[in-house]
Amino acid sequence: MALQVYTASLLKEGLVAYLCLDSEGISWTTDLNKATAAEDSDIDTLREAAERSDRDNIVVGIYPVLVEKTASGFEPVENREKIRANGPTIILPQSSKASTNLHAA
Amino acid sequence: MYQYSQADHQLLQERVSQFRDQVQRRLSGDLSEDEFKQQRLRNGLYLQLHAYMLRVAVPYGLLSSNQMRTLAHIARKYDRGYGHFSTRQNIQYNWPKLEDVPQILEDLAEVEMHAIQTSGNCIRNTTSDPLAGVARDEIEDPRPYCELIRQWSTFHPEFNFLPRKFKIAVSGATHDRAAVAVHDIGVRLVKNVKGELGLEIYVGGGLGRTPMIGKLIRKFLPPHDMLTYLEAILRVYNRLGRRDNLYKARIKILVHETGEEKFRELVEEEWEQIKENGLRLSDTDINNIKSHFKDPSYETLSDFDSDFDAQLLADPEFAQWADKNIELHKQDGYRVVYLSLKSRNQPSGDVTADQMDAIADLADKYSLGAIRTTHRQNLVLSDVKLTDLHSLWLDLKALDLATPNYNHLTDLISCPGMDYCSLATARSIPIAQALTKRFDSYDYINDLGDISLNISGCINACGHHHVANIGILGVNKKGIEVYQLTLGGSAREDASIGKIIGPAFTADEIVDAVSQVLDVYLENREDPDETFLTTYRRIGQDPFKEKLYG
Repeated sequence: MALQVYTASLLKEGLVAYLCLDSEGISWTTDLNKATAAEDSDIDTLREAAERSDRDNIVVGIYPVLVEKTASGFEPVENREKIRANGPTIILPQSSKASTNLHAA
Repeated sequence: MYQYSQADHQLLQERVSQFRDQVQRRLSGDLSEDEFKQQRLRNGLYLQLHAYMLRVAVPYGLLSSNQMRTLAHIARKYDRGYGHFSTRQNIQYNWPKLEDVPQILEDLAEVEMHAIQTSGNCIRNTTSDPLAGVARDEIEDPRPYCELIRQWSTFHPEFNFLPRKFKIAVSGATHDRAAVAVHDIGVRLVKNVKGELGLEIYVGGGLGRTPMIGKLIRKFLPPHDMLTYLEAILRVYNRLGRRDNLYKARIKILVHETGEEKFRELVEEEWEQIKENGLRLSDTDINNIKSHFKDPSYETLSDFDSDFDAQLLADPEFAQWADKNIELHKQDGYRVVYLSLKSRNQPSGDVTADQMDAIADLADKYSLGAIRTTHRQNLVLSDVKLTDLHSLWLDLKALDLATPNYNHLTDLISCPGMDYCSLATARSIPIAQALTKRFDSYDYINDLGDISLNISGCINACGHHHVANIGILGVNKKGIEVYQLTLGGSAREDASIGKIIGPAFTADEIVDAVSQVLDVYLENREDPDETFLTTYRRIGQDPFKEKLYG
């Protein structure tokens, strides 16, 4: 059984986001551990919700990502998706007054 | 520098206004992503692995100090406090929000900058020699010709939807510092035996998955015919270039498949039809543009300074930097200074907003307010007095911009790789940093001498690995990042494409592999003056293969 989440980029910010689908409806989070995961045929429900967000101009470029459930949460299977989920693997250059508002998205 | 006319300003303002409207329509849902994508790409805006990426044009690598301050302001206000200078002399921001981009473009327009044609299948920013106008080996200043190309190609109605992107480089010196051989069109300014100025026109160079060296299709073109001839080349490409296959759409494939001779005939045939049209440059046209690039008022100075000589003797660290990062200037008493963006602390080409502001101040203080970007991802202060070098070095050292490594091993080119890029198949920055850490010894890189080491994180080759003496290509092999070594490339006047040496190495192995390659060179060079490339061309691949694979 393959566990998957749906991912995309937030239209306004461009940041990596994951689909949350619960009783309150559809939302998107930048935290993979808050994403809704599904297996096999249940993934269709997530796909339909993601497509709706795409149509509603909330996100861009939806696709499913294979993940594994670990002790610390969801972990993408592929290296590229690990980097998308966790950010660049390097220390980013630091300036004194860089904008930080993006982190709160 | 070229100063914008009223028409230039108006053009930029209108462009910003159009894009502001397009962004609003996208955010409100009036434009679909498919519709919007072509618009944002025409304004340099990509959607990358983690966020949007905005590529800002630095026309032929020239920046004023005020423009640099605006770049710092943008990094600080709209991004995460830094920017990345690319291998095409542009700057990229990795984290802008879509809704902020129109304002960023407006801020840029105020200092005569933009992101037009920095992506998409159009003619991109023309690149050039970072020492244009100051090099001792210069035949003719290439900047006026770059500017003429910029004006001709910007919004050219015929060439806005080419089969694929199109890159032009212009060099005016004996030594090629603009990598003209690996551009779609490379222009070299030359003089004939009569001392007349002309242009060598190379076509069909490029990197990517099918690297090729450009073919010389015109040996001596009068400068007045430059635009009509370029127009003829573009027309042939636009008509015959393949649009059915993304991987065969660049002009290099057309030239290769058509054959050099036949392609030349096609261009000449087209040119005959248009050579006398309005694009033919008059003396007035050329001189008007040249007037923007007149020499500044240099002081009359001696090319020797006893204090400078004493500082070299007194301070070995200063002497190391002076030996590596300074070049002679055409004007006595002045020097060209390379600001190394290849320290152990930041990715290649990255500059923080604080550094940008400080560089702008240093440019004003020491170098007539001008800065250049290089395709090797460094910066240049082009007009520094010999007497100011020690003070400048102290300032650069405090900013971590004085690593003495220009054109040496740790001056390595690296694309952003999979840490940022959605096309990448492997990370390149961590490998570049591991290499820098391993070889972070002045004595060692000094002994190795002139050498280039470049790394790309995918076959698109933004890190120019094909034309490095030692090239590294990161690829994904069954989910694992592995790194292929190529040897023998060159981006200079003796341009060549490196050859793959053998099976790829893992991330843990690649630094040792590079070390072994360097060992073979040191063991086989005839004397310390024989460069890596000369040794490689003399002894071939076998000794390297033997060492690497046994």
